[in-house]
Amino acid sequence: MSAAATAPAAQATRPVLEVRGLVKHYPGAKALDGVDFDVRPGEVHCLIGPNGAGKSTLIKCVSGIVEPTAGEVLVSGEPLPVGEPSASLDRGVATIYQELDLVEDLRVYESIFLGHEPRRGLLLDRARMREEARKLLERLDHPNIPVDAKVGTLRPAAQQVVSIARALSHDARLLIMDEPSAILDAGEVDTLFDVVRRLTAEGVGVIYISHRLDEVPRIGDRVTVLSDGRTVASGLPADTPRDTLVEKMVGRRVEQLFPERPVPRDEVVLEVEGLCRAPDVKPISFQVRAGEVLGIGGLVGAGRTELLRLIYGLDKPDAGEVRVDGRRLQPGRPGASIAAGLGFAPEDRKSQGLLLDWNLTRNVSLADLGRYTRHVLLDRAAERRDAAEQLRELRTVPDDPDRIVRELSGGNQQKVVLARWLLRECRVLLLDEPTRGVDVGAKTEIYRVITDLAKAGLAVVVVSSEMSELVGLCSRILVMREGELVAEVDGASATELELLRHAVAPTDSDPVLEENA
Amino acid sequence: MSTAPEAAAPQRSSSSRLPKNTRGAIQEYALVGVVAVILIAGAIIEPGSFLTSDNMLNVLRQASVVGVIAIGMTFVIATGGIDLSVGSMVAAASVVGGQFADSGSAMFVLGALGMGILLGSVNAGAIAYGKVVPFIATLAMFTMARGLALWISDKQPKSIFDLEFVRWFGNGEVIGIPSAAVVFVAVTIIGWLLLNRTRYGRYVVAVGGNREAARIAGINVPRIVFSVYVLAGLCVGIAAVLLSGRLSSASPIVGNLYELDAIAAVVIGGTSLAGGRATIVGTFLGVITFALIFNLLTLMDLAVEIQQVTKGLIILAAVLIQRRER
Amino acid sequence: MTIKRFMLPLLLVAALFAVACGSDDDESAGDSEQATQATETTGSPAQGGRVKIAFSAPGADHGWMAAITENARKEAKELGDVDLIAAEGVTDSAAQADQVETLIQQKPDALVLLPNEGDALTPVAQKATAQGIPVVVVDRALEAPGASRTFITGDNYGIGWQAGNYFADQLKCKGNVVEIQGIAGIQVTEERSKGFRDALKRRCPDGGIKIIASQPADFVPDKGLSVMENILQAHKDIDAVYTHDDDMAEGVVSAIENAGREDEMFLTGAGGSKAAMERIEKGGLYRATFLYNPTMSASAIRLARLIVRGEGLAELTEPEVPSQITVPATTVTKENVAELKELGF
Repeated sequence: MSAAATAPAAQATRPVLEVRGLVKHYPGAKALDGVDFDVRPGEVHCLIGPNGAGKSTLIKCVSGIVEPTAGEVLVSGEPLPVGEPSASLDRGVATIYQELDLVEDLRVYESIFLGHEPRRGLLLDRARMREEARKLLERLDHPNIPVDAKVGTLRPAAQQVVSIARALSHDARLLIMDEPSAILDAGEVDTLFDVVRRLTAEGVGVIYISHRLDEVPRIGDRVTVLSDGRTVASGLPADTPRDTLVEKMVGRRVEQLFPERPVPRDEVVLEVEGLCRAPDVKPISFQVRAGEVLGIGGLVGAGRTELLRLIYGLDKPDAGEVRVDGRRLQPGRPGASIAAGLGFAPEDRKSQGLLLDWNLTRNVSLADLGRYTRHVLLDRAAERRDAAEQLRELRTVPDDPDRIVRELSGGNQQKVVLARWLLRECRVLLLDEPTRGVDVGAKTEIYRVITDLAKAGLAVVVVSSEMSELVGLCSRILVMREGELVAEVDGASATELELLRHAVAPTDSDPVLEENA
Repeated sequence: MSTAPEAAAPQRSSSSRLPKNTRGAIQEYALVGVVAVILIAGAIIEPGSFLTSDNMLNVLRQASVVGVIAIGMTFVIATGGIDLSVGSMVAAASVVGGQFADSGSAMFVLGALGMGILLGSVNAGAIAYGKVVPFIATLAMFTMARGLALWISDKQPKSIFDLEFVRWFGNGEVIGIPSAAVVFVAVTIIGWLLLNRTRYGRYVVAVGGNREAARIAGINVPRIVFSVYVLAGLCVGIAAVLLSGRLSSASPIVGNLYELDAIAAVVIGGTSLAGGRATIVGTFLGVITFALIFNLLTLMDLAVEIQQVTKGLIILAAVLIQRRER
Repeated sequence: MTIKRFMLPLLLVAALFAVACGSDDDESAGDSEQATQATETTGSPAQGGRVKIAFSAPGADHGWMAAITENARKEAKELGDVDLIAAEGVTDSAAQADQVETLIQQKPDALVLLPNEGDALTPVAQKATAQGIPVVVVDRALEAPGASRTFITGDNYGIGWQAGNYFADQLKCKGNVVEIQGIAGIQVTEERSKGFRDALKRRCPDGGIKIIASQPADFVPDKGLSVMENILQAHKDIDAVYTHDDDMAEGVVSAIENAGREDEMFLTGAGGSKAAMERIEKGGLYRATFLYNPTMSASAIRLARLIVRGEGLAELTEPEVPSQITVPATTVTKENVAELKELGF
């Protein structure tokens, strides 16, 4: 049910925020290239867009941290004084950041009034602070947050409320919320939405930034799509269909997200037989052919990552065997796995896949340095050349092999990981959540890479928590539940619901799930 | 863990876009600057005795013992480890060499190198396979090695006056340059090649930078960790031969606090104590810096308290410069 | 898992309890005993039975200190009727105090102590004395009167004094002298330095002897080597070198020999090591050393035994062991080295 119907009749009055033709240039890049956007009092205006679209820059311009190159920002009709965050606060613009900027050791009432504490003469008027804090929390329908508690002892959801209370203490008329649902679970998100509705009922305007497109119709009144620094669509009604929004973000029709499914060849490249390790993985057997993209679905905790780690040799199995091209693989030795032609892209690419302070060349070549060793010394020119070639083929941005990996976006970092295995020319690629933390545009690129690799003859195994991804990408899908392989379905005809059913319950159909289809 | 897509890094100022090598180079240039300042200051304060070729060669010779150790220490620190036992190990290695002194120089050298490698291997085994924390394992060796040195030598220094080669090694000259300095420079060059131009060096820094990622990339992490402590032990052995040559005796009470000097030199040179970033050139310059300071302050006959404060301030300054560059 | 986690803290608490309970008992001993210590003895050893002596000295990372411990043990064995209970040497004063605490729990007849630092070990010595255990202190003084029964020490000031006189004679009050000190700031170093300078001032009042450099080398030879190398660079005309320690002097000698300047100057050490004695005997650069003999710990064992037996020193008329004995710093030169060689450590 959309919130649009219950917005106060505020169209007649002045918008709380107007952004016209906003442009922001940095040396070498245009972060914002013409943004038009407005927020009415009492409205929740969602802001969506892929990474690098300019959302954070827009927030910084509106909250006064950054001075725009051109264009106007008007708050309640008056231009905003630039470069002074305190001025923005005074004008009623408050921001709730994703990483809440609260001091753990301060008490709730101290945090709320940090920077503008009420005083009696020279001393802090703590009694008044406590009283006002209590009132603010009541306004947000959270009277049971103790004002004397230290912020660090509160749950993240409660800390967020304190942040919002702080914004209110500045008499905010415009509240900017950056990915507020990222730290919350489903129940807490509902509570957050209640808080937001209370605020809008008082006439506060809210800019709500989120990647979870399903939240837009739930809390939003209107939605604006930002892409490449421009407003692609401004002020659409919040109940615009999700696919339309995705299309606007990506600039492409949804059906084109997934490339054509590859056709597996006959030869079996990877055989897993009776592989198990208590308590996460019960004996599992399956095969993967050349040219096949095999998906492994299931809920978190089903043992999928553990299975990949067993195959690759990061963990030692209790029993079972893995064979590559018919030859038995030595268990528990990643070095042996790599030599046999396996490659592994871990779930957490930053902490497990890459050396963030190294440049792209070194990250790409790390698994294959033997190739570049000539009489003990490394041939660094050849290394750089080959790495650059791989990065170019994968359309990595930027593809300069001397850049530091840390500076790349999530999707491009993932390409660096893939480049490493392409350089190595492996036979089997094991990918664990390859598109996690990757924005929509880059996801498509990665899907293309995966299918191209399969077409070239690799066997690719993809573990993913996004059922839609598995259904769109894979030739065949296995489903794991509690360490066991419970189902095997054909990729082309599978549906998300079917996968979900296998993942949560025995294979016979579940009436409850049928209802929500 | 948030599932929100990560933002691409916004455009930053150019210094953070420099590749890793350049950032380290800034630290090294800073140190070259420091060396230059010391040389100039010394020339002014003690004209006639500081900036003479004789004294400069003297400084190089003095720097060689700790210098060789520091090169080995660089590898250890690059993996994120540390070795607190190198000073005591020098004494133990010297003493063991001394036990073979009666059989000639070659046996002395073999004895010293062998003991260094042996003790280094004990550290290596405990840390790489025994999973003992490097600080603790090498702290234990710190006392053990000293004890071994006193025990094996019966607390008496052994004169090796007759071992011509060893004495030449520590005191002699090669076309006017002290042989000890030549050894130091040679070890530095080999260390540099090993760290920067071989697969092994890349693996060492990878292990220090991100152990799990290194493992996933197929690197045999325990083997690499093992090797760096053995390498340190080898450097200790070489240093022991140098020192005994200079002293013309194998003494069990030498090597006091060498580990701190070595670690300080490595750190101000720009190698990160956390591992993952190492520079041999930086270590070399760090060793030279401290040797120059010691030399200048002794020439000035400055009270030792002032020497210690000066040394501490330099370490602090170097670390602060390092932080700014990150 | 949970039990394991609490094991260590539990054990520590239990250990603390044990120690605390143990020491509670001794508080009741009181101070009244202290006054009568000089005359009373402790039972059967006085009648000629075995004497139990507790011994504590700092950890030996230096030849001299190692010899101290070694000499004490050897002496105890030779005497035949002494049971020596010794703690393993530690280098930290607080740790040594804890060890002595443990030692006196075993109710020895006497305690021979070389304190790492006088102030830190004074309380535990007082405690021993209060419990009726006579304390014989070696080399480094405690801070409180009445904390020990007898103090036997070498003469650090005397070393310096004798050296100063030696230099005045040898150089005929004219020349450039370099001083290589021990660890800066400790009492040993300060006294050896002061004695030297006082003697020079007295013997050569017009200042003919100049101390042109004075640097510490921490009692170790490798530091002695580096420091002397640098000093040799700074000064091209040195007449003599006064070092605070024979072990350290080995490094200084190497530096001088490597530079080929052994004919330019002479050198003296201190302590009385075997190596030094041999060099003095051979003659040349190393001219003299001044005894600071680690045999004083052996003497301390003997003294402790006498005290426990209620006896005095045979040659003195007084019936009891003196409360302070300063062992003189004998000058050892080529002339007398032959007789004194056996004392070398």
